[in-house]
Amino acid sequence: MNPAVHLDGITKRFPGVVANDDVDLAIERGSVHALLGENGAGKTTLMNVLYGLYRPTEGTVVVEGEPRSFASPRDAIDAGIGMIHQHFMLVDPMTVWENVVLGNEPRTWGGLRVDEKAAREAVIELSERYGFDVDPDARIEDVSVGVQQRVEILKALYRGAEVLIMDEPTAVLTPQEVEELYGVFEELTEQGKTIIFISHKLGEALSAADEITVLRDGVNVGTVASEDVTREDLAEMMVGREVLMEPATTPQEPGDRVLGVTDLRVEDDRGVEAVSGVSFELRAGEVLGIAGVDGNGQSQLVEAITGMREPESGSVEYLGEPMAGATRREHIDRGMAFIPEDRHEKGLVMSYDLVQNGILGSQHEPPFAAGGRIDWNASTDHAESVIEAYDVRPPNPDADAESFSGGNQQKFIVGREFERDPDLVVATHPTRGVDIGSTEFLHDRLLELRAEGKAILLVSSKLDEVQGLSDRLAVIHEGAFTGVVDPATVTEEEIGLLMAGETLDDESVSGAAIHDAVDDGLDGDGAGDGDGAGDGDGAGDGDADDESGPNREPAADGGVEA
Amino acid sequence: MRNPLADVPVPLLDDLIDDDYVRSLVVGVVGTLGTLGLLGLLFPDSVAGDLAGIVFSAGTAESTARLAAPIVLAGLGGIFAEKSGVINIGLEGLLIISAFASVYIASVIGIGNAVLGVPAIWIGFLAGIVASTLLAGVFAVVCIEFKADQIIAGLAVWLIALGLAPFMSTVFFGGVNTPNLGASVGWRYSATMVVIATAASWWTLNRTAFGKHLRASGENPKALDTVGVSVSRVRYAGVLLSGVLSGVGGSALALSIGQFVGSGETMVQGKGFIAIVAYLFGNYNPLGTLGAGVLFAGLDATQIRLQQLGYAVPDTLVQTIPYVVVIVVLALVGRTRIPAAAGDHYETEE
Repeated sequence: MNPAVHLDGITKRFPGVVANDDVDLAIERGSVHALLGENGAGKTTLMNVLYGLYRPTEGTVVVEGEPRSFASPRDAIDAGIGMIHQHFMLVDPMTVWENVVLGNEPRTWGGLRVDEKAAREAVIELSERYGFDVDPDARIEDVSVGVQQRVEILKALYRGAEVLIMDEPTAVLTPQEVEELYGVFEELTEQGKTIIFISHKLGEALSAADEITVLRDGVNVGTVASEDVTREDLAEMMVGREVLMEPATTPQEPGDRVLGVTDLRVEDDRGVEAVSGVSFELRAGEVLGIAGVDGNGQSQLVEAITGMREPESGSVEYLGEPMAGATRREHIDRGMAFIPEDRHEKGLVMSYDLVQNGILGSQHEPPFAAGGRIDWNASTDHAESVIEAYDVRPPNPDADAESFSGGNQQKFIVGREFERDPDLVVATHPTRGVDIGSTEFLHDRLLELRAEGKAILLVSSKLDEVQGLSDRLAVIHEGAFTGVVDPATVTEEEIGLLMAGETLDDESVSGAAIHDAVDDGLDGDGAGDGDGAGDGDGAGDGDADDESGPNREPAADGGVEA
Repeated sequence: MRNPLADVPVPLLDDLIDDDYVRSLVVGVVGTLGTLGLLGLLFPDSVAGDLAGIVFSAGTAESTARLAAPIVLAGLGGIFAEKSGVINIGLEGLLIISAFASVYIASVIGIGNAVLGVPAIWIGFLAGIVASTLLAGVFAVVCIEFKADQIIAGLAVWLIALGLAPFMSTVFFGGVNTPNLGASVGWRYSATMVVIATAASWWTLNRTAFGKHLRASGENPKALDTVGVSVSRVRYAGVLLSGVLSGVGGSALALSIGQFVGSGETMVQGKGFIAIVAYLFGNYNPLGTLGAGVLFAGLDATQIRLQQLGYAVPDTLVQTIPYVVVIVVLALVGRTRIPAAAGDHYETEE
């Protein structure tokens, strides 16, 4: 039997660059195939060739034994190839069924009217056949990202796709949704569909794919069966050298208290309490990791600490001073570096070049500000040094931020923030979208900062990252710490339980010394006038909540034997 | 802030208007009129009695229909353009150009003559539509093909028409105001066109594939592009439809009198801008736009009659009501949802 898709000697050249070099790839019908590689390895280019967005310079695309030449994605769709982009192509205020049939609406009344009944039935039928739990009448803006992804899959299936290409399908999903996606893969392949997914995450390639093809610098390094390889093998194939999968942390005695958070309560944009009484301390030369499923209050906690959101009550103390009411600039000026979770929204101004982006936050102080002007020479030197030290590609400080790939944007942000000479680094998902080679470098750099005596608050949804780098690991669930554990001794299962909101009785796990900051009388010292609205520093003494809050949070005070 | 009227149960309207904000708008207008009518019946000698007498008089109904036609029709056109992602603030200009063109062509042919059996006044009507559609076409090319800023291009459409129409009138008729044709299109025709256009617009937007594509084009053009529908074609269609509908409105306005008045702000007098207010107030729903347009036109008609009865109602104040209303609606009620990609250019990547 012919393979579902056969890419025969595909070469794709762009002016000055060979994106794909004689890539041969055969994908069996009914299998899940992972296309693994670092940023810029040519994965997406190869899939764009298959999807008809690019014409190959050399080579042929063979679908079900027939050589094809796609002039546009329409041709690819007609040949039964569907693509699910990383950023979903859905119309938010329209319903699921409207999105699924968009552009191919069944019609009645001589083509005048959309046949809503037929459209809904088709969507329900597809959804049931593949075991998707999707309400056809729900609006896209009301459903979770996981469901949105299934709507994208339905869109492709509705158009008769036999081969589904998915670009980094897990990038936007929660761990549970990732599991559900793997279930969807199984349903689809059982019914003869073929799935190709692009990834740079070893773990998901190993657990979801039958076969894995590794691309490096546009060349097919090898296709292997997923049961025959280990993470280390794959990492080596991707990077071309041996990769240390576990960052090497050395024990280190933490120094003075840098950050003290006491009974912090923060609301989200909808006015719902997102952080419910969190207390902790962070000392110099220490990494505190915060693990948890995305959306459990991490964002709001970080925003309250970095001065981007006013807490309802509780206090943040930094270098011995309360930060209540301090502006964002004061936070930066006092040496707090911040790597935001959303690099497009908060990390970079996409239409600025890297020179301008490089001085964001320090534009008002020397060496960048000189007599009311900005010293562009110093700014350019700074951008160039960050680009070089953090291997930002292409190394062009005059290019706009939006022209860089996500991984390179991230490297630049991390570089800018790390080179601020901060006392505290608040890093959320510092390696999101970054390939393993660069991740290794960023991890090393983070540990160097720790060795220099910086305090680091690390929020990440990558469990191995927080576990490997942290001295202490706090697990957050629904805005409260369910436990503060020693990452060296805790198991992944235990963290999983904590992430799901369970608590651990096992004292040996909670090796970190824990005491209740509130019981010690450290009652919101930043509390001032307490006159209600607009008074961000909040917590008045004797606030009923302080005494009776259900989520009394343990504050681990740092004395951990790492 | 929740709209307090939103919870009024009106099961009959449910199928037609799946938007409780618009539903409450319609209910509010009907309710206010009903209350006024009741007060007028109970206290015939009070101000309420006078007011009710005016509001429910045939004369007011007539002038409301006349004044509402350009507002509602241009508003419907604005919905098509903006839903597709092109904000057309040049509706005022489209009304002006069609008002002039309709009168000019009708007078060139001569009232009493006919072309292919169609009386001159209706040829003029069609000419107004053609003129408005051509100007909208220029606007579309500038915005979609050449990616000009939609707001600036829209202002240009208004300013061009505002200058061009009185100028041409001076050239052809020796004054900014054209002579009266001596014939007019009755208000019943305007009212019928408004009702048909509203119903047809609603159906097109909600029941046809084109309506869905229009919406997708204004909300997430990339989603439409990736399923193989040309975004620029949909946007051209949306903008040209705004030209056609505004043309109907402008022709109806001028031909209901039989004259083009080009002095000052011209006879259109900001109705194109009130049309924008009307469709925003109506939350992009043709029925809501109809309701808002009739409401604004009714206020204006009532104000005129009150002045005739000797009440010193400042007309300039009444004319600000639509704008105040839209600020209140946008700021406080906040239920109007502007298409996510409105105002953005779209460039296909393929």
